[in-house]
Amino acid sequence: MTDRRRINGPAGATIPPVYDDESRLDLKTATGRSRPPNAIRKMYLKTGVTPSASGSAYLEIETSGKPGVSGLKLSCSVHGPRSLPRSSPFSPHIVLSTHVKYAPFATKQRRGYLRDPSERDLGTHLEAALRGSIIADRWPKSGVDIIISIIEGDQDRETSRFQGDEVWDMMNALSGCITVASAALADAGIDCVDTVAGGVAALVQNTSDDSTTSIVVDPIPSEHEKILAACCIAYLPTRDEVTNLWFRGDLPASDMELYTRLVEQGIQASANANRVLVECLNGTVG
Amino acid sequence: MASTQHVLLSPAELAYLHASLSLTPPIRPDGRTRTQFRPLVAETGILPGANGSARICFADGTEAIVGVKAEVERTQSRHDDETVYVEGAANNGGDGDAETKEDSRTGDSSWAEMTVEIPGLRDDDSGTAFLAAMLSEALLADGEFARRLWINRRFHWKLYLDIILISPPLSYPLPLLSLTTHLALLSTRLPRLQSEGDEDPFFDDDWAAAPHLFPRPTTTTPTHRPPITLLVMAVGDSIIFDPSKEELAVADVALAVSVSGDRSEPGEGGAGRKLRLLSIRTIDPPSRLTPPGVANAANSAYGAGNGAPQKMAEARTAEAEAAAEEGVWRAPRGGAKRAVLGALVQKVLEAGGVVDEVLDALEGVDLG
Repeated sequence: MTDRRRINGPAGATIPPVYDDESRLDLKTATGRSRPPNAIRKMYLKTGVTPSASGSAYLEIETSGKPGVSGLKLSCSVHGPRSLPRSSPFSPHIVLSTHVKYAPFATKQRRGYLRDPSERDLGTHLEAALRGSIIADRWPKSGVDIIISIIEGDQDRETSRFQGDEVWDMMNALSGCITVASAALADAGIDCVDTVAGGVAALVQNTSDDSTTSIVVDPIPSEHEKILAACCIAYLPTRDEVTNLWFRGDLPASDMELYTRLVEQGIQASANANRVLVECLNGTVG
Repeated sequence: MASTQHVLLSPAELAYLHASLSLTPPIRPDGRTRTQFRPLVAETGILPGANGSARICFADGTEAIVGVKAEVERTQSRHDDETVYVEGAANNGGDGDAETKEDSRTGDSSWAEMTVEIPGLRDDDSGTAFLAAMLSEALLADGEFARRLWINRRFHWKLYLDIILISPPLSYPLPLLSLTTHLALLSTRLPRLQSEGDEDPFFDDDWAAAPHLFPRPTTTTPTHRPPITLLVMAVGDSIIFDPSKEELAVADVALAVSVSGDRSEPGEGGAGRKLRLLSIRTIDPPSRLTPPGVANAANSAYGAGNGAPQKMAEARTAEAEAAAEEGVWRAPRGGAKRAVLGALVQKVLEAGGVVDEVLDALEGVDLG
């Protein structure tokens, strides 16, 4: 069904030539990383920002030094535990439902109001990460809703080229979601075995002609020439356990060493984020 | 979600299953060894209206059909090196093109679209979105697949992969859907291109001349194969492949691991195959949602609490949680140790292991 109410432009879009200044071209190339490879970006975490929810938290991750690059801004609210509706079947555990939604203005490409598949996918990852940390059998017949809005996605507005790095942004967003949801759960007073935090590690290639690779934590896609593989980890530090592992990339199977190092770095990043989380909770809740 | 559907097993049955699966070697309910797959029936080229199709039926009755349809689509041009002109710089657009002809084939992940339909689940169910994201992520991980869909600088193939589970989901359908997609992609053929360069594409109407999207193995060139995704789980120290629904209900941890096995040299069996790890996802095991058992010592029907001073309810709960009794089922809590996760991945990627076996079996399927 075509849209006949409005006057639409021609279907086949053409693009006008763009004349660019030679001096500005170098902005578009990868700038390189300004932090040490094992340091995550600074983050700001505050609990209890939404008075009407039983628990809430706000997380902001530092923008990188480059102008025009936004950081990640997340807001999470937890509603519950509350009794399940009469129509739902008996559950011996708490029923967890997670919603992750990008605000329409959070990314370069506008997101609609309905959740698209990638947002549902993020929600499922988050659910797996949190379900391991919640002591679910203390609340039979009850449910809890965890709602995260991504107010500002971690995207570089400078890069004009589409580099296919949206999936790497998703990993960064997921690690933030896990951390902020864990803080909001603690704020709501829901029993957990431990605070779970997210961390990302990536195998990157810094120059296109050079084949040497290095492992960095908390990668920003625009700072590197190419990201070869990345993993997002949700980690419980006191139990030394991983509740969610999401790896994506292209690694030779013969090189298990590389994979193990990547996971170790992801756990390290997660443990660093967890320190911020514990400090924030000590200041407010405890 | 499909992995978290309720299993009708009592706590005592769950405890029994957990104990028998943690033995070495594990005793599985259907008598398989730990790396054995369920027997399956596979055929390809079943849908005459599709560019490629496959059907796989597992012995437990789950059955999936995959149809691959291709359409020609105009490539959306972007502001990139070819359309941004620099003032004052020499026009080097014309002469550089010829030598970089091969490298100019670029792909985009939006050129392949995957949908999964599972009966009984809503279209917008998170579990379906998760399955589709997992399968397409493995397919697009190395960028080589999207590059195959390139026709010329102005046009590309848009590939629609429609996965339909035609039986109710009796077990977590991931391995079934992945193997069916693998076969459907292997049998996919695209019409032969007759036009040259960047002109509007014109194709040969002889279907017999249509080349395969993934060319047949030859003796000279390395062949690229679509990935497969395997479900692997750990119970105690045992690692179990292709778990059924009941086995998944007692899993400590379940992983979906996507691997591709390109042949660098021809050979029989696993020889000459280069495995690559493409993606790993943790599957939320349904064991976390199973009802806990009650030990006799805590059961008032067996005289618990009689004579003993009445304890606070909270203290009783804490006591019950602290004491893990043999044979009393408790839903697993917390995550997985990293050594267990490492062992799972190691086991999948092992040379001459399950992946080689599965890929060998799939190579035996007649692709028509």
